[in-house]
Amino acid sequence: MTATTDPVARNEWIAAGWLGQIAPGASHDTMILGQPIRITRTGEDSYRISEIGEDGSEGRELPIQTRYTCIFTTLGDPTRPLPEIHEFDEADRVVVGCGNVGVNTSPYRLVENFLDMAHFSFIHVDTLGATDKTEVLAYRTEHRKDVDEIWAVDCTFFQPAASKAVKGGQMTRYLYRVMSPFSVMLYKNISEDSDRNDAICVFIQPLTETRCLAYMPMAIVDNENTAADIADFQQSIFLQDRVILENQRPALLPLDPTYELPTRADASSIAFRRWLKAMDIRFGIYEKQAA
Amino acid sequence: MAPDQWNAVALDSQIRASSSNPVIVNDYALALWRSASGEVNAWEDRCPHRGMRLSLGFVEGEKLRCIYHGWGYGPDGQCKVIPAHPDLTPPKTICAQRHAVESRYGLIWTNLAEDPHARLPDLGADDGWEAVRSIFLNYAVQDARKAVMDDLVGWNGALSDGDVVTLELPDGTTLAAAFQPVDAGSTGVHFVARGPAVSAEGRHGLARQVVQLRARIENN
Repeated sequence: MTATTDPVARNEWIAAGWLGQIAPGASHDTMILGQPIRITRTGEDSYRISEIGEDGSEGRELPIQTRYTCIFTTLGDPTRPLPEIHEFDEADRVVVGCGNVGVNTSPYRLVENFLDMAHFSFIHVDTLGATDKTEVLAYRTEHRKDVDEIWAVDCTFFQPAASKAVKGGQMTRYLYRVMSPFSVMLYKNISEDSDRNDAICVFIQPLTETRCLAYMPMAIVDNENTAADIADFQQSIFLQDRVILENQRPALLPLDPTYELPTRADASSIAFRRWLKAMDIRFGIYEKQAA
Repeated sequence: MAPDQWNAVALDSQIRASSSNPVIVNDYALALWRSASGEVNAWEDRCPHRGMRLSLGFVEGEKLRCIYHGWGYGPDGQCKVIPAHPDLTPPKTICAQRHAVESRYGLIWTNLAEDPHARLPDLGADDGWEAVRSIFLNYAVQDARKAVMDDLVGWNGALSDGDVVTLELPDGTTLAAAFQPVDAGSTGVHFVARGPAVSAEGRHGLARQVVQLRARIENN
């Protein structure tokens, strides 16, 4: 595809690579929102990102931020900053980058899958869900207007093995946070007596409307497992989701609430779709064909 | 608007009890599923909840369950089970899109029209038909039909054109080829037979001949 003209999508910060992906002095060609770009690692901690023209030459230079183990850029003038996630600044946490995983669907299907608790008992059997404990208890959603984010609060779900560190089943408490159309995270309380939540993010790089790369930086409280073990657990969960994500039709997200019918457990998805509709984003959205 | 037209989409014996299967006809994706008791259903391959392909779902008794969230649908298409809310009676509006489906002559037929009136092709008595073989050709349906006809002309028997192409073999066996338009460049051809040659051994012989037919068409 050619680069999107949708100003809403162009004005967001988008993950385009992870720290360590590119050797010093080397460059890496990729794409965001249909626009080919080249990321060059100009020094140990410095990068340059340029659009690539149709003739293959480097054109306009793009803004860069490196944070949360990722390299972010944008095609427009972002109205919102990168989110603040202070858990990544706490020295005793294990921060894991996980690289990226390709998924052939629209970015919003990925966000919704991440927000969804009802699939745990079917897709993540014996880890995040149990086949005999499928109920999603009532939770609340909020549009936090000061930061223009969607939150889902007071979420709980029974999990046989909620993370690499947990032994045995428990009611896990979740807090979900959608920071932009292309980024979402959760705070997960992995033990009853702790007020320190694991923070798990998904930053999505939409290559095109229906092809994405997902980055999953995490800041975890875990004294026993290595970063590699934690990454391995998360990757195995994510690969179970990928099979689902690549088999939803259409891949583009329908915003018409009569085309895909939600139930109470989908409150966060409903709030997310309303929010996307209100911001009038067009990139990656399904426009129903006239009959 | 889908045309009021029956298309064979599978050999009846290929769609096993308690299974859900993906089928494409005229670019339209169907989940073809058979309940535990043997009833066949042809539904749009899309869960009304979040668009998951129902052909990846699982059959439990007389219900098709979506693999994503386990929503369960009865043969009438109505959602009966939402595991996230075990005490909730699902609203009537949550209903899978069903399509007309028939089992006849050893084949499964679907008609995607909203209000189908067309009749199934008439191959005479329904009993005694046995599956031979399905093949897929990289041709649009009219070209696939012509290629199959051109090949069958060289077989020993009396050939008749129709919605279903039939060949009367010298021993009195009827070989029938029914066409499934998949998309602009792909067609399924489902072969069934009735008569003396449909013993297990005879069917294997016919199936081998059909595979050779496909090889000749592909090498042309």
